[in-house]
Amino acid sequence: MEGKFKKGKQIQTINGKTVVVEEWLAEGGQGDIYRILYGGEEKALKWYKLGKMGKTPKAFYENLKNNVLKGAPSDAFLWPLDITSWEENSFGYIMDLRPEEYHEMTEFMLAKVRFKSYRIAVDAALNIVNAYRILHNQGYSYQDLNDGNFFINPENGKVLICDNDNVAPDNVETGMLGKPRYMAPEIVKGKGKIKPNYYSDLFSMSVIIFILFCLNHPLEGKRFLVPALTPARQEVLYGTKPLFIMDEDDKSNGPDPVIHRNSILVWECLPGYMKDIFLKAFSQTAMEKPGTRPREKDWLDVLVRFRNDIVRCRCGNDVFVSEEGPCTCEKCGKKLHIPYRVQFDSYSIPAFPGNRIYRVQLGICDEAKVLACIAGMGVSKKDPSILRLVNLSSKSWNVTNREGKLVKIRPQEAIRIKDGINLEISTEIGTETVKIIRNDAAK
Amino acid sequence: MPRTEELGGIPRKQLNIFYVLDTSGSMDGVPIATLNRTMSETISSVKQLVEKTADALVKISVLLFNSSCQWVQPKGAERLEDFIWEDVKAGGMTEMGLALKELNSKMSRKGFIESDIGSYLPVIIIMTDGRPTDEPDEALEEIKKNKWFTKAVKIGFALGPCADVNLLEKIVQDSEAVIKTDSLETFARLFKKATVNSIVMQGQSRTTADVVTGKGIVNEIMGGDGDDPYGFSDDDDLFGLGDDSDVFEFGDDSEYGYD
Ligand SMILES: Nc1ncnc2c1ncn2[C@@H]1O[C@H](COP(=O)(O)OP(=O)(O)OP(=O)(O)O)[C@@H](O)[C@H]1O
Ligand SMILES: [Zn+2]
Repeated sequence: MEGKFKKGKQIQTINGKTVVVEEWLAEGGQGDIYRILYGGEEKALKWYKLGKMGKTPKAFYENLKNNVLKGAPSDAFLWPLDITSWEENSFGYIMDLRPEEYHEMTEFMLAKVRFKSYRIAVDAALNIVNAYRILHNQGYSYQDLNDGNFFINPENGKVLICDNDNVAPDNVETGMLGKPRYMAPEIVKGKGKIKPNYYSDLFSMSVIIFILFCLNHPLEGKRFLVPALTPARQEVLYGTKPLFIMDEDDKSNGPDPVIHRNSILVWECLPGYMKDIFLKAFSQTAMEKPGTRPREKDWLDVLVRFRNDIVRCRCGNDVFVSEEGPCTCEKCGKKLHIPYRVQFDSYSIPAFPGNRIYRVQLGICDEAKVLACIAGMGVSKKDPSILRLVNLSSKSWNVTNREGKLVKIRPQEAIRIKDGINLEISTEIGTETVKIIRNDAAK
Repeated sequence: MPRTEELGGIPRKQLNIFYVLDTSGSMDGVPIATLNRTMSETISSVKQLVEKTADALVKISVLLFNSSCQWVQPKGAERLEDFIWEDVKAGGMTEMGLALKELNSKMSRKGFIESDIGSYLPVIIIMTDGRPTDEPDEALEEIKKNKWFTKAVKIGFALGPCADVNLLEKIVQDSEAVIKTDSLETFARLFKKATVNSIVMQGQSRTTADVVTGKGIVNEIMGGDGDDPYGFSDDDDLFGLGDDSDVFEFGDDSEYGYD
């Protein structure tokens, strides 16, 4: 296949720059993607197909132009950097090229690409939630959140959000309703009369998180298995009578042991607090009352905790270690060596190499800093049996050991993780206390 | 936790695309060559699209008809990823009635729409360049009793001046879902577009609550008025309980707790 533009084709942008087409890359439903030269740099151009620029192309163009002027909410967005002038009743916008290491979310869904570990999947979810929180807090909504929006790096969970062309100030109509199966129930039921907004974004986002973890759609249980999923049936399934596949009260849309094996396997292993947030996000209340849906901050809190509760056994298996439960690997039967835990206000996480303390775990913070690493855990190079906590922040910590001795741990310095240590970690707004406790004493 | 390698892909509904293609004697020469090139190009370009979509598992069935009719894959629909178009030859009559009868016999869950997970409404793309040499009325009446057929997204291609447009309109049950062209080049282009659109339509972000129809797709690929390719759903309880058990031989859907 090839697009309408040949190599060498030139197009002007509103910033007075010239786009030179290099190569056609791909076709989407809305348009074609080209590799281009833009001021000498390699970028991507998305060129719209006729009839695919919203209900009113002029308004669609203006909105996109405003997004260009506004600038990217964070570097997790493959944001429109510049926009072309009109040509033959269409136009395009310029964005960064997706780096090769990033894969489409759909490739993960088809199990063509897999996360390096379960923890990386959680990292991807964290990055997605964090990015949408930033966008939302700037007063915008995404309006067309679906599985086609994400490029994800399976090695580290980094995420790039594309398709930012329907992003608009919250509650401003772009004419977009969303993608079937990802639209919130009120949008499906509204049949075009109710428009997407922040709350419908929240719903679609929780669908994405469930899919990332469980490789099943949260509303596609037994009821989905009807022989013919007609439009009328879809309306029931996703709109008028949505029911979570893991609903605890009504099992009529529960998982089929063979077809929904993925979600059965994963759900069993999820910690209670993760189950709870999914049950809440897909409860009948949350389906009917958009305002009761978990917010991004609620997701961030549990995801950060979840990330640290997944530790890797020597056999390569990812084990979820709960506060109370035994720390044995269900695959090889070996006990995991986790002598200490890090205690926050209301929960603790295992002290384990690779675990992190994020800024969001230390009280209120600016959304841009949520996933900033304040501390990291690793083993000592000289003696791998020694576990250390490294100060990755820019401020010194006051640390007291069990004997009450006070030391200062400056940025990049580390302390040996031992029972009874008290860390006073300074943030931009105050000080938070974190304790190291013996594992059996956790909580 | 399960290892990420232990999990399979997400369960997907099947999207069956049925091609019903006229390979009668009048197609001999350039027309059949065009059809061959068009099919192989269409398939290879939709493969790229389908590789990255998790919305549906697309399956292809091709029924060729002339003096007789035969399925390209007699064992059943083939996954698009695995499908390779092998050139076909033209010759013989235009036994459209026979083709409809054969299509009807396979449009069921015991036939080519077989799936544990179930299916979206199928797509039927039917092409002819002539008039039927048999009496297709009876077969047409019969197939209209098949809900998979009546509810399918249907698109007709009337190729050349001799094509029986009227019959095609009756088959696709909508006069606006038939594309008429005398130009092989136009045929090739629109045929490919029709396939691409019927696949992406299912999982595409949309601006209206309307339902995908053959007419909508035809409007869109003809350049239309730029409207979305959806029509209104008649929202009846399609495939409701019991009444279609003769079509859905495996009994009704009540086992899934639908009301
Ligand atoms: N910045 C980019 N760099 C490289 N490739 C890209 C980029 N953006 C998109 N693509 C490729 O182009 C394809 C189509 O892009 P995209 O999904 O944005 O188009 P679309 O028209 O909005 O499609 P749809 O409406 O079906 O989601 C993607 O599958 C992807 O492979
Ligand atoms: Zn193990």
